[in-house]
Amino acid sequence: MMLSRVADHQYWMSRQIERAENLARLVRVSEEILLDDETLGRGSAQEYWSPVLQATAMEESFRNLYPVPRQGDAARFITSDLRNPDSMISCIRQARENARSVRDKISEEMWTEINALNMFVTSPEGIDMLDMAPQAFYEKIISSSMLFDGITEATLSRDEGWNFLQLGRLLERSDMTSRFLDIRSQTKAADDAQESLQWGAVLRACGAHTGYRRTHGGEISVEKVVDLLLFSNEFPRSVRHCLRRADEVLHDISGTPTGGYSNQCEKLTGAVLARLSFAGPNEVMAIGLHTYIDGLQKQLNAASQAVFESFVLLPNEINRHVPNRSRQDTFSDWQREQQQQQQQ
Amino acid sequence: MNLKDYKPNKLFDELLDEHGKIRPYYKGIADRLTGLSANDLNSKIRSLELLFLKQGITFTVYGDEKGTERVFPFDPFPRIIPASEWEIIEAGLIQRITALNLFLYDIYHEQRILKDGIIPKEVIYGAAHFRPEFVGVSVPKDAYIHVCGTDLIRDTDGRYLVLEDNGRCPSGVSYVLENRTAMKRVFPHLFSGGVRPVDTYPADLLSTLRHIAPHENPNPNVVLLTPGVHNSAYFEHSFLARQMSIEIVEGRDLIALDGFVYMRTTRGLRQVDVIYRRIDDDFLDPQVFRKDSCLGVPGLVDAVRRGNVSLANAIGTGVADDKVTYAYVPDMIKYYLAQDPILEQVPTYLAWRPTDKKYILENLPNLVVKAANESGGYGMLIGPTATAEEIESFREKIIATPRNYIAQPVVNFSQHPTLIDGKLEGRHVDLRPFVLWGDNVKVLPGGLTRVALKRGSLVVNSSQGGGSKDTWVFAS
Repeated sequence: MMLSRVADHQYWMSRQIERAENLARLVRVSEEILLDDETLGRGSAQEYWSPVLQATAMEESFRNLYPVPRQGDAARFITSDLRNPDSMISCIRQARENARSVRDKISEEMWTEINALNMFVTSPEGIDMLDMAPQAFYEKIISSSMLFDGITEATLSRDEGWNFLQLGRLLERSDMTSRFLDIRSQTKAADDAQESLQWGAVLRACGAHTGYRRTHGGEISVEKVVDLLLFSNEFPRSVRHCLRRADEVLHDISGTPTGGYSNQCEKLTGAVLARLSFAGPNEVMAIGLHTYIDGLQKQLNAASQAVFESFVLLPNEINRHVPNRSRQDTFSDWQREQQQQQQQ
Repeated sequence: MNLKDYKPNKLFDELLDEHGKIRPYYKGIADRLTGLSANDLNSKIRSLELLFLKQGITFTVYGDEKGTERVFPFDPFPRIIPASEWEIIEAGLIQRITALNLFLYDIYHEQRILKDGIIPKEVIYGAAHFRPEFVGVSVPKDAYIHVCGTDLIRDTDGRYLVLEDNGRCPSGVSYVLENRTAMKRVFPHLFSGGVRPVDTYPADLLSTLRHIAPHENPNPNVVLLTPGVHNSAYFEHSFLARQMSIEIVEGRDLIALDGFVYMRTTRGLRQVDVIYRRIDDDFLDPQVFRKDSCLGVPGLVDAVRRGNVSLANAIGTGVADDKVTYAYVPDMIKYYLAQDPILEQVPTYLAWRPTDKKYILENLPNLVVKAANESGGYGMLIGPTATAEEIESFREKIIATPRNYIAQPVVNFSQHPTLIDGKLEGRHVDLRPFVLWGDNVKVLPGGLTRVALKRGSLVVNSSQGGGSKDTWVFAS
């Protein structure tokens, strides 16, 4: 048993770190590809970034802030723009704020790592590195996120809090992996060589290059990439693998045996998992990759919403008692009031 | 580090006596410090502050758009209090908290001290933190102030004087504990035997809190209520909760139903018995106090009245640490305990007394004027260093609302050698010991020594350029 709010903070802390890591993976690979494409004189930077922004659901806010985008704007928007609540640095900040709220529940080492990452990305050294050696900057975020995961693994008791941390990471990872696939679902490659280059980039973004070669050999095809990233039971970043583990974690939290469900969240996650367990790339290609992923994302969103409703909102027990004071306590009022507390 | 260059001015100096000789209890540390180079010391301090920053041992500066978190500057030269002095301080603090708790019980019950004319009724009823709606409400063990952080200073003769009693939500104890940990880690060779440990504080605090469990519950669910992560003392709240292994909750985690308080957990509601609240009375319950508060818990006060949940500190203790009430504490000690105060306090002029008001208005440039219900160094005028405009603006405020102001002569706090730019210079220090009122009274040996890092400044608050030192009390 733990405080609902604490569960919520733990869940979001790991989700936001995972999101920052995945964005770093995405931008790192994208910039490499872009260099190749430009060398070959194919496409413009804008054409290139548009599907990336679309797949990460950032396109609209990007267009609003940068009506006439210039070179580097898109990468900056995804990486360091604080006006973008989903930029890497915004995610790291929020993850750190969440960590601060649950400091007493996470290990000292976990806190130190996430606090240090937050200090780094906003420090003059960090900003310089992003300018001069962006690849190193992305590497730093990726390795810090993985280090955080490892520290968690090695220092945190396997209690309910650990489960919520895992849940956040796994749901985010499955979501991002499906988004990576979506990036290339709508663009048409100029030739086979480019298509193979682009899918190779998706694999690399997921750290799946080696895993792919071992399972499917050297030749890259859409079906096989989809097979690995959506349906693999072994590859740790595949959507199915993540959801299988999320399903286990959820059942560990509720104490219900897997295969059944005791709350909405278990039901929804179980349903997506079943769908992935009894299908393969052929079904996806028949429906169309983008349509398939769109459906998958809707289900993943519903599952995330159910986590909130099942464990944080506790609607059945509390809703009838809690006075509704939702909108008037805007964030800044709430923050100001916290600060008004005189310190003696 | 060369102590020979240390030239204190005429104030009371903690290290050197009036002949410029090192006081006997500082001999050991002075010798060990002499062996360190200023550069070494500086680089160790910097790595220490980086460590604090990495660990998030910070406070938030308000009025700063970004809500910047800062490290509370730490000075490596520890302040030493010999056992003989500490015995007197400890006895004085115990006497004081005893009198204050008797006073609060009296004020919220028979009000004998008012009826006997020791304190004018208007003083109490005019105090912003007096809660008339709690007259007649009983609290567990008749205890009101469970945690007290009394500020002490030393005058030019070296006498310890009480500057103020903080009996609502005193903060700073986490720095006492973290400073000691840091000191041991970075400067282990500066220690010698006999420094009294401070690390039992969290356990003592927890037993103090368990002591007031409702219905003598032997296994109460104790929680710490924080305003939230944006509060300047959030680090301390989270530190104490972690040390005591209790939940740290925000108002939105709690819900009051049918006169009981519960916390919202992933497995449903769980009853809460004792709340160590680090939020002011005003924000506790929007049904009773500030209607617009989103930090509190609607129905909490009702549960407190019914005796189903206990608060530490109790509601309404602010009437005891009011700066006007302060002037009457020596009278309280005589009235309730039939004793003379062990610790003296600063002479205080009350602006609502016509003769005092006249004196204050005529002597503003020589006085310290304080708003009666402010803390944290806000709402304060230090006459000798104030500009003419500042003095005039206080004059107007005092004439408009005399009840809100008190004045005291400028007491020049004692000074302590402090490392400034690689050299030792004298800086003013105060002392905040922490007192726990549970099944017995415990005073944490030492307390927080705050140091005003600006030359000549008397303001030691962290929000206004203060730092802190480790404080050593020797066992004998």
